Amino acid sequence: MSGVTDHPVLDPALAPPFPAAALPVLRNVQLRKNVAHAIDVIQAKRGKLVAEKTDWQELRTAAAAIKDETLANLGGYLEQFEERCTAAGGHVHWAADAAEARRIMLEILREAGANEVIKIKTMTAAEIQLNPFLEAAGVRAYETDLAEIILQLGKGEPSHIVVPALHVNRAQVREIFARTMGLPDLSDDPKGLTEAARNYLRQKFLEVPTAISGANFLVAETGGVAIVESEGNGRMCLTLPRTMITLAGIEKVVPRFQDLEVMLQLLARSATGERMNPYTSLWTGVVPGDGPQNFHVVLLDNGRSSILGRKTERQTLRCIRCAACMNTCPVYRQTGGHAYGSVYPGPIGAILTPQLEQLRHAQSLPFASSLCGACYEVCPVKINIPEILIDLRARVTDQERHTVGKFFDPLYVGLRVANVIFSQAWLFHFAQWAGRIGAKLVTRRDGWIHALPSVGAKWTQTRDLRGLPKQTFHEWWRERKTAGRQVSGSASQRVGDAVGGRETK
Amino acid sequence: MSPVTDSRKSVLERIRAATAGKAAEGHADIPRNYVRRGDMTVSARHERFVERLREYDAEVVECEPEGLAAAITAVLAASGRHRFVAPPGIPAEWYVDAAWKIEGLECTFDHGLETREIEQAEGVITGCFCGVADSGTIVLHHGPAEGRRVISLLPDWHLCVVHSSQVVETLPEYFDRCQVSGVRDQGPERLPKLVTWISGPSATADIEMTRIKGVHGPRFLHVILVRD
Amino acid sequence: MSGSMRASLFITCYNDTLYPETGRAVVRLLERLGVEVEFRAGQTCCGQMHANTGFRGEAFSQAKRLVRLYADAEAVVVPSSSCVAMMRDQYPGLFEELGNEALRKDFRALLPRVWELSEFLIDKLGVEDVGAYFPHRVTYHASCHGLRALRLGDRPFRLLNKVRGLELVPLKNLDRCCGFGGTFSVKNGDVSSAMLTVKLEDVLGTGAEFCTALDNSCLMHLGGAMHREYAPMKTIHMAQILASTQEKPAEVVG
Repeated sequence: MSGVTDHPVLDPALAPPFPAAALPVLRNVQLRKNVAHAIDVIQAKRGKLVAEKTDWQELRTAAAAIKDETLANLGGYLEQFEERCTAAGGHVHWAADAAEARRIMLEILREAGANEVIKIKTMTAAEIQLNPFLEAAGVRAYETDLAEIILQLGKGEPSHIVVPALHVNRAQVREIFARTMGLPDLSDDPKGLTEAARNYLRQKFLEVPTAISGANFLVAETGGVAIVESEGNGRMCLTLPRTMITLAGIEKVVPRFQDLEVMLQLLARSATGERMNPYTSLWTGVVPGDGPQNFHVVLLDNGRSSILGRKTERQTLRCIRCAACMNTCPVYRQTGGHAYGSVYPGPIGAILTPQLEQLRHAQSLPFASSLCGACYEVCPVKINIPEILIDLRARVTDQERHTVGKFFDPLYVGLRVANVIFSQAWLFHFAQWAGRIGAKLVTRRDGWIHALPSVGAKWTQTRDLRGLPKQTFHEWWRERKTAGRQVSGSASQRVGDAVGGRETK
Repeated sequence: MSPVTDSRKSVLERIRAATAGKAAEGHADIPRNYVRRGDMTVSARHERFVERLREYDAEVVECEPEGLAAAITAVLAASGRHRFVAPPGIPAEWYVDAAWKIEGLECTFDHGLETREIEQAEGVITGCFCGVADSGTIVLHHGPAEGRRVISLLPDWHLCVVHSSQVVETLPEYFDRCQVSGVRDQGPERLPKLVTWISGPSATADIEMTRIKGVHGPRFLHVILVRD
Repeated sequence: MSGSMRASLFITCYNDTLYPETGRAVVRLLERLGVEVEFRAGQTCCGQMHANTGFRGEAFSQAKRLVRLYADAEAVVVPSSSCVAMMRDQYPGLFEELGNEALRKDFRALLPRVWELSEFLIDKLGVEDVGAYFPHRVTYHASCHGLRALRLGDRPFRLLNKVRGLELVPLKNLDRCCGFGGTFSVKNGDVSSAMLTVKLEDVLGTGAEFCTALDNSCLMHLGGAMHREYAPMKTIHMAQILASTQEKPAEVVG
């Protein structure tokens, strides 16, 4: 039934490879419908706003340049952020990996005496699998973002980085809320459902003195942290509690406060198809009398520095998590996010996840793309995702091709053989001739092939293949030449006909 | 040496190793060919601001400077609400008329109110730092006339007074205003420590992409635009 | 006009083997337009399949071969967007990483002389009306490489609009990938098929007799499903439409 309680695995170390993970989703008609509907809505809104923004391309160019400048001098900008944030009364911590980030955050929570924490939606916390870790340590984490509540109460997993519960429809939400909030008479009208969530959370906001957030941007120049949201739960979490912990990947920093004028214009339009999202908040360290007085930032590496050093791949870190790429992706449209086996799905997930795992896991993701390039066109920071996908494919292949498992894999064998065949014209021609003979065995009377073995079976599962013609093009050409056809003579006869556009006789 | 400091060292070392070599262009060389300043007339900008606010279902009332107090009174009276909270620095002219005219009106100034006291308020009145016409955005820097962040967050109803002279067309123009006028690169001390950009009441589209207004944060946003 | 122009046809490995009628059509069409067509017998493959599956060294050896083969060609015409995109988008990186300075020089000199078919007709020959006659309802499918990598824009439409007797029916969701993606079609065969089904809905929904494109790769995928499902539609490469005249109508195979 529901895609919410089926337990997709979003740990790249444990998730099945993409083709296997996608198959059950393809059979989930409800989920495919929900996903298509959601992305069509965002795409339409985005398209309208991008069309009206006459300087859209110039903004993209500036944003890519701002991010590239940041990444090229990342050490310096992070140190500047740390210095300014600390001077403003914040505490900055550095976490080399997920385990360390979790440890640091738990230590801060213990010191604050917290056994409950309210959370603003953050994919980074999901990346480090924070919630189960806190739970095991006796700290209950309450999600406050509507989508995250739906997933937390329904024990589901996010399938999109901006609209994480887009695979869930209203009837499914109603069922979850009615059951877990004790509201048997709840209707499935979105207004009523939202009201239920509002009431459920109000007390939590007012009572829980500790909050955890992510960050959309860290401003090096001022030590400021910016969060972009719609619902107001962010404002609640970053204003009311006493202790606040912000977890941020090291790539979230931008050099200057002014740089936000570019990023904010691009983010809202790309992510939700709005000129500006309802609430964007920026705060700097601790401000006496206003907001949390105990503020910590945890800077997370967790594989990002390994991406930084690679010429082609560095641009992966420009990402501002807008999800425009997955909204436009024709693959994501059919599979939704869970098939990617990561909290980062879609095109960005296909390049980010394997790299964060340093290519030890998620090796199937760079292949989970038809390389159509739609993502690159919409990316507000101009990440050339297809280029990175192809490079990652080369790195994964280099890793695997000499292992026993892959050396004898039919596809790998076929590609090595094909390379030999393409290296000499006579070999190519011989292979075509041999292929023609072999194909006769599988060609039906209608001249088409309906079933192929091995790798080919995945083709003929849903498609026929036209049988090999009796003559290749080059054989036809050779025949034509030896038939003594005078090229120049016949050509001039036809020039007159074609150039004037007159109908031929 | 604590493990945390070790990580700081190792992370920075990894970053330095990864970014050694070819230096980037430099921050000053970032191409900024996007629109920084708009070219709308004052009245067109004003109109655009109102239009965009109304698109978000914010209620907008316009008035002349001498009519501000009356406009505030009218909006407060129409709200049917009586318990308000306000930042300590709003001009007296804003509220004396209303206090006189509206029966039962209670306006508490935030001199360090407890959260549960603010939770009792039915509405809040603030000024703002800037308005951005292009996106219908109101920007609060939480100065004396705008108040602590909590008071414009908890009450369900927010009246914001915006002067036309505070309204710019584009977002980059707002960022220009943040620098001390005429003096660029004064250093980060000049930049705001707290900013809230408000573009309409809170909303969610998490359930089947149906936009629902008002989740947390004030569900009702009223703007009085003073044509100064 | 351009009667003295010579063009070297790079037929592509899969067209040579599976769709020779497309090659024949290109020859017929270009000769009709006064172009002298040559065909270098040593040609095999551009290396795209290997590049996209992570066999970079192998892709490079094929790229090297191709650049050497066409070093002195006046113009290279290719009836396949994806192969031209391979040369423009991926060859630079391959030659940079695996080649030497001499090869890079040869490649840079060759690249401006490589043309996708519709580019050759419109940009090089300056022709939109190629004197074609094809009295059928046709819908045009924009392959992703043609659309995004080559930015062919309205070239295909400008050509099709001048084909006498042809009724062009627009395709909904024109910029959505058909799901072929090379080896993606078998490595991720299920997802590829789901994308195909969704695409076919739009294609068959046009009610056209033919679906045409500038790439037989997409057409092999779409046409393969049309045939499997007994759909009332066939695929045909645009070269065959453009070569078609009243006196010698297009070869429609399959």
